[in-house]
Amino acid sequence: MKTLLLRTLAIVPWLLIVGCNESADSTAKAMRPDKDPYPSTYIVPNNAEFAILRANILTGDGAELRNTDLVISDGKIVALGTALDLDDSISRVDAAGKWVTPGLIDVHSHMGVYSAPGTANHSDGNEMTSPVTAQVWAEHSVWPEDPQFEKALAGGVTTVQILPGSGNLIGGRGVTLKNIPSVTVQGMKFPNAPYSLKMACGENPKRVYGSRNTLPSTRMGNMAGYRTAWIEASDYKKSWDDYISDAKAGKDVDPPSRDLRLETLAGVLEGDIRIHNHCYKADEMAQMIDMSKEFGYEIAAFHHAVEAYKAAPMLAENDICGVMWADWWGFKQEAFDMVRENIALVDYAQACAVIHSDDPIQIQRLNQEIAKAMSAGNRMGLDISPAKAFRWGTYNAAKSLGLEDQIGSIAVGKNADIVLWTQHPLSVYSHASKVWIDGALRFDRNDSSIQPTSDFNLGIIKAGAVRP
Amino acid sequence: MKYILPLLALTVVSTLATANSILIKDADIYTSLGVFSKTHLYIENGKIAAMGQQVPLAADLEIDGLGKSVTAGLFNSSTQLGTVEVGAIEQTVDFYSENETVTASLRIAEAFNPRSTLIPHNRVHGLTHSLLIPRSATNLFAGQVALVQLGNQPKVIHQSLAVALDFTERGVSIAGGSRAAALVQLRQALDDAKDFSRNRKAALAGEHRDYVLSYADLAALEPVVNGIKPLLVHTNRASDISTILKLATDFQLQLILSSVLEGWMVADEIASAQVPVIIDPIHNLPNSYESLGARLDNAKLLSEAGVTLLFTGMDWHNTHNAYLVRQSAGNAVANGLDKSVAIAAMTTNPARLFNAPVSGDIAVGEIADLVLWSGDPLEVTSEAELVVIDGQIIPMESRALQLRDRYFERLQQ
Repeated sequence: MKTLLLRTLAIVPWLLIVGCNESADSTAKAMRPDKDPYPSTYIVPNNAEFAILRANILTGDGAELRNTDLVISDGKIVALGTALDLDDSISRVDAAGKWVTPGLIDVHSHMGVYSAPGTANHSDGNEMTSPVTAQVWAEHSVWPEDPQFEKALAGGVTTVQILPGSGNLIGGRGVTLKNIPSVTVQGMKFPNAPYSLKMACGENPKRVYGSRNTLPSTRMGNMAGYRTAWIEASDYKKSWDDYISDAKAGKDVDPPSRDLRLETLAGVLEGDIRIHNHCYKADEMAQMIDMSKEFGYEIAAFHHAVEAYKAAPMLAENDICGVMWADWWGFKQEAFDMVRENIALVDYAQACAVIHSDDPIQIQRLNQEIAKAMSAGNRMGLDISPAKAFRWGTYNAAKSLGLEDQIGSIAVGKNADIVLWTQHPLSVYSHASKVWIDGALRFDRNDSSIQPTSDFNLGIIKAGAVRP
Repeated sequence: MKYILPLLALTVVSTLATANSILIKDADIYTSLGVFSKTHLYIENGKIAAMGQQVPLAADLEIDGLGKSVTAGLFNSSTQLGTVEVGAIEQTVDFYSENETVTASLRIAEAFNPRSTLIPHNRVHGLTHSLLIPRSATNLFAGQVALVQLGNQPKVIHQSLAVALDFTERGVSIAGGSRAAALVQLRQALDDAKDFSRNRKAALAGEHRDYVLSYADLAALEPVVNGIKPLLVHTNRASDISTILKLATDFQLQLILSSVLEGWMVADEIASAQVPVIIDPIHNLPNSYESLGARLDNAKLLSEAGVTLLFTGMDWHNTHNAYLVRQSAGNAVANGLDKSVAIAAMTTNPARLFNAPVSGDIAVGEIADLVLWSGDPLEVTSEAELVVIDGQIIPMESRALQLRDRYFERLQQ
């Protein structure tokens, strides 16, 4: 029953819920602008209840279970345990001796906004026409037929956060998608997932705008640029707050003019929109944290956090996730101080450590990236189990998105985003064998009818064939 | 369900860098003749002195190799290692020239910096040799390909093994934007190099016709058109590969192909021309219209057709993380390539083709150039525990390890 209720809520546009709350106050007709004008149209497919039996499970939140059964119904995990007593009618997947994990989550992808082929017409990820473009939304660039999505699915990636690029100080809104085939991006949008706002520290914005002789051309210019924007946003938020309270007090007031750019920034100040901040260096992370306190908002995550190991206690104290690569470095000065133990050390300091790809090749093997980061940590003597390491691509990633109550672990009540692997998932030789999203089988390595392929591939790859 | 946790303790080797003899016991040893399981390996004075069950039972450095493996030192056959420090800082980037008068004559080896911080970082992860390939910036021709060794004193082994040419969409774009125009330029350059070779004295005396390329560039191409030195061509689209194979036949060139993302479509042509290919087997995306057919079993299909493989990878990290060639190789095996072929593509094949001072093999009498891995040699959870380059133990030191130790100490306080 609870499952049914959750599903019903999931498909009711958020607008209605928000609208109800506002209009509950009968004295006011005053309304804030619609917060969800491009709502998700995704609906959990109807699927018969089924069970995965005798699996070895990395739960995604740090535990390892052996020889365990799980039952999936209405898109949710409804039972988990050993030797469950199952009705004969339930269909079964025998996973004896095999490994099962939650679907992988990549919180930093540009699939769909930098689609393949990577030609100029597909360059839709970076609105580098002004240093603060909080008004742009990545979802308005996403091409759902990008042939990169299906390869990430074949790698066990079930949820992706698509972000704008990092050329701007404030690049625009990111969007969280379910990695399923769809004609529209609305059909992929994770229902009611919080929006994110992409910000960028350091070299990129100052290079892009400095070369045009406009602010910012320095790191201090970067800071001035963000702060100016937050001051505007604070004023804008106040104008709406004043309007709502005046209207509620019965005054005859007109709503302020809408400003898309400030509306998103005000959404951050209100706590609706989560900050995902491209920021390599520890010293710049500290500036960004102080700035968040200056203006009263929270930072969800620092991405490309090459120096997160230097900032780990600060991240832990402020409950900010470090989103990291296993080993990328040296392409810029701000990426020069890489250590392969970065993720392991952030985890050691009990901060939220997350793996990301930012890359359509590596997103296909996030499991290997986790494995490399774990191995580096173990090499230095940290005792990191596969179960603990897998959190970096599952539970912790979900936490950075504000979705840890729905995805990122295998537990009763969670969405049935599940990967069955051919071998231990931290092996280079392992492949995703089956991938379920909300209990629906979306990929099967041994069944070409369950291997989605983009419209783009038709006539390029032979009919019925699959690009491995 | 084989899953081996990596060892938690570092093998202490740095203090034993002066060891004259090393005994690795009970390791799986990967050689060109096959894998020898639970076998002892005895190294003395930089050479592999004995292998098998009958070996000296004592050495300056003894290592328990049980559950571990030994391969020859790894080659990455397409890098710019030692010719860049920070990618975005152009003053540190020496692997291409924007000078239009320096093309085939550019010797990347002359820019090699043996003190680059990238070298220790790569060799502690098992990379012992690296091919340096310059990149094209103003011309189809990029310059001359070098081989470097990454030992305690990193050095250039060969200054000029081949001349590199870019016939990808990028190179074609530099040449005016049409494949057809690029081929006109290419044939013109090769014809000019032949003409220069026949009339060198008159040309240098100013008594011969003018050329588009400089004399230095033509001189660099002379051994190529004379069939002495290979032309190394980056190209991807199946039809482009066929075009280059035909051109090489027409001009009687030695050829090495590189990238070949659609190589599997013309694998038989490449095999019958006996042309080796340098590939990163991890690509499977239609990133451009020249790679619509990219697929993860490219390496497997090429190998099955009889093509000799040389690996690079991952190719957007082929400077700072050139050692990741091992992960690319592991993925090739995960997608059907024979494991021994994958290892040969990082060891014996490049050692032979590029005339390295080491054999790329583990065999008695050979110079020890090898890596002890904590587990399966291609597994992402295996770490290099001992690296010997050209007979010498490499200290497990790098800038990244120093940073790690500094901050771990602070985190523990």
